[in-house]
Amino acid sequence: MKRFWQKAKVREAISGYLFMAPTILVLGTFLIAPIIYAIFLSFHKVEILGGLSYRFVELKNFLRTFEDERVWIALKNTIEYVIIVVPCQTILALILALVLNKEIQGKKWFRIIFFLPTVTSSAVLTLIFIWIYNSNGLLNGLLDFFGLPTYNWLGDPSVALKSIMIMNIWSTAPFFMVIYLAALQDIPRSVYEAAKLDGANEFDQFINITVPLLKPVTFFVMVMGIIGTFQLFDQSYIFSGGTGGPNNSTLTVVLLIYQYAFRSLDMGYAAALALMLAGVILVTTLIQRGFFREEKAN
Amino acid sequence: MKQILSRCLILLSLILFLTGCSRSIASDISTVTLSGWQSSPEEKQLLEQVLREFEESHPGIKVKFEVITDQYMDVIKTRLIGDAAPDVFYVDALDAPLLMSHGVLEPLDDYITEDLDLDDFAPHLSEAFQSDGKTYGLPKDFTTLALFYNKKYFDQLSISNPPQTWEELEDYAKKLTRDTTHNGRVDRYGLGMTPELSRHYFMIKAFGGELVDQKGEAVFATRQSLSGLTPLMDMYRQNHSAALASDVGASSGSEMFGQGKAAMVIEGSYAIPYLQQTFPKIEFATAEVPSIGNHKGSMVYTVAYVMNKQAKNKEAAWELISYLTGKEGMKAWANGGLAIPARKSVISELGYEQNPLYTPFIAGADYATIWQEDEKLPIFMTHFDNQFLSALLGEQSLKSAMKKAQQTANKEIKASNY
Repeated sequence: MKRFWQKAKVREAISGYLFMAPTILVLGTFLIAPIIYAIFLSFHKVEILGGLSYRFVELKNFLRTFEDERVWIALKNTIEYVIIVVPCQTILALILALVLNKEIQGKKWFRIIFFLPTVTSSAVLTLIFIWIYNSNGLLNGLLDFFGLPTYNWLGDPSVALKSIMIMNIWSTAPFFMVIYLAALQDIPRSVYEAAKLDGANEFDQFINITVPLLKPVTFFVMVMGIIGTFQLFDQSYIFSGGTGGPNNSTLTVVLLIYQYAFRSLDMGYAAALALMLAGVILVTTLIQRGFFREEKAN
Repeated sequence: MKQILSRCLILLSLILFLTGCSRSIASDISTVTLSGWQSSPEEKQLLEQVLREFEESHPGIKVKFEVITDQYMDVIKTRLIGDAAPDVFYVDALDAPLLMSHGVLEPLDDYITEDLDLDDFAPHLSEAFQSDGKTYGLPKDFTTLALFYNKKYFDQLSISNPPQTWEELEDYAKKLTRDTTHNGRVDRYGLGMTPELSRHYFMIKAFGGELVDQKGEAVFATRQSLSGLTPLMDMYRQNHSAALASDVGASSGSEMFGQGKAAMVIEGSYAIPYLQQTFPKIEFATAEVPSIGNHKGSMVYTVAYVMNKQAKNKEAAWELISYLTGKEGMKAWANGGLAIPARKSVISELGYEQNPLYTPFIAGADYATIWQEDEKLPIFMTHFDNQFLSALLGEQSLKSAMKKAQQTANKEIKASNY
C-alpha cells in the first residue's frame, strides 16, 4: 500500500483529480447526472403528479415515437426550418461581413446596429414581430404599398413557419457575421496582393482565397447554426401560445417535448423524444464533419 | 485562530436568534399562499381588495397572493410535482378531473359546515368539482356564452331585434358584412368567431352529437356533430360573412368586436367590462345565443378555489376558501362584474338579473353545456382545434377533418396506455 502511494504517477493523478474536483462536481451534478437520468426516464413510464412512480417499459417509449403523427409533423417542420434557415443565415452573415470589412464610412456604427438584434432577448423580438406580422401590421402595409400580395402571417398554417424563419434569419445572422468578420481580418493581406499581381479580379479573389480560407469558420457556423435551429423553441412557443398552431404548422420537436413533459406530464416519453432529437443532431453533425473533411483532403 | 472562532460564534448566535424570532412570529400568524390568473389589472386590484378585507376580519391569517400570468395550469402542475404549489389556487372545471384523480387536492367535505349553504351554488357548477362523492373545490364564479351585437350597425340596417335562431344569424351576418372603405376588401364581418372546441361543443350537442362515448373514445365525427358545425363552415367559407380574429389583425373575438371589425361575436361575460373599459365608444347589447336546430344552447365555464393536499396550514387555508366562496366574500368579488358569482343569492342581491347586459348570461346557465369531460379532454381539444381550423381554411372538407381529428385523438390515447 505504502509503495503504491509512493508511486509518482498515482500521486500526480490524485492531485490532478483534486484540482479538477470542483469542475467535475459541478459538471457531474448539472450535466452528466441529468443526462443519465434522462436516459433512465426514457425506459420508464413515469407518474409524477401525486407521488413519484416508475415502471420499466422496455423500448415502448421509443416505439411510440414512430407511430406518433405529431412527432413526424414536428420533425418535418424542424428539418424544413433547418434546411432553409441555416444556409440563408450563413450566406447573409458572410455578405454582411464582407460589406463591413470594406473601407466604408461609419463602419463601426453599422457593425453595432447590425449586431443589435442578436443581443436582444428572443422573447422580446418575437413579441415585436407578432405586431409586425399582424394582418394590419407593418409588413402587410409595406407589401400592400408595393402592390404585393399580403398574408395572414400568424394565422395561416402555410406561412406561419416561414414568418418564424424570416425573423430568425434576421436575428441570428449578425452573430455569425461577427465571427466571419474576425476570420476575414485574419486572412493575411499579402495573399490578396499576390493574387492581384497574378491578375485576379475581386471575384476571383473571393472564390479562390476568401472562401477556402474561411472554410473552418464556415464549418463552425454551420454546426452551431444547425444545433441552434434544431432546438427552436421559444419563438414558436410565443408565436402559437404554446400550442404549435395554427394546425401544427409551428410545432417543433422541442415544443413537442415541452408539451409532453409539462402539459401531459408524460416524462418518460418526453425523455425518449429528447434523446431522439439528440441522436438526429449528432448524426447531422457527423455527416457535416465528414463532408468538410473530404473537401479538405482534396 | 481565536478571532475566527469568536466570529463564528457570534454568527452562529445571530442565526439562532434570527430564526428563533421568525418562529415565534409564525406561531401567531399563519400565512396562506394563493395563486390565480388575471385577465386584467383591475381583476388583480379587486381581488387584493377582497383579500385585505379578509385579513382584517381574520387577524391571525396573512394571505400571500401570486398571479401566474401565462400557462397557468402548466405552472401549477409543475409546482404540485415539486411540492411548491400554493395552499389555495384556482382550478378551471376543464382541469379539475386530472387533479382530482391524481389525489393532489384536499377533499373539503370535512370542513364544509351547514352555514356555508352549499345549495346556494348552481348544482352543475359544484358538480364539476366533485368526484366519487367528494367535493374538492367550491366554485367562485362562472360565465356562459352569449351573443354580443353592435347596436349601431344593427340600426343602420334597421334590424331591431337580435337573431333568435342560427338561420337568422346567418342571414343578418351576410347583411352586416361590409366593405366600408370601398377598397375591394371586407373590413367589417357579420360574425367574429373563435374556432375552438371549447366554444362550439354545444353546437355538436345540438343535433345529438357527442364528444366521447362510454368507452372514452372520441366520437365527434358523426353526422350529427357535423350538422352542428356546418353553419359555421358555411358562413366562413361560402358567405364570407364570418372571420377569425387573426384575419383582421385582432388577438381575440372581443377585441375584433370592440374595433368594429365584427358586428356580432359570441363571448363570455368577461367581455362586458373589457369592452366598456377599452372601447368606451362602442354601443353594444347582449342576447342569448341563437337557437340551433330548435335547441337553445350555450357553454358554461366555471372556476373553483381548491386546497392543495400539501397545504401547511389547512385550517387557515379553509378559512380563506370559505370566506372567498361565502356570501360576503363573493359579493365583494363579484361587484366588479368580471364574472357572474356562483351563488344564486349573490346574483340576485347584486341585481344581475335586472341588468340587461347580464340577463342573457344568467338565462344561458339553465341550458348551457359545462366545459368539462374526463382527463382526456385536452387531447380531444388539441386535435379538434387543429383539424377544424384546417377545414375552415379550406385545406380539407369538414367531414374528413373531423374524421382525422377523431382518429388521431384516439390513436394518441391508445398509444399513451402502456
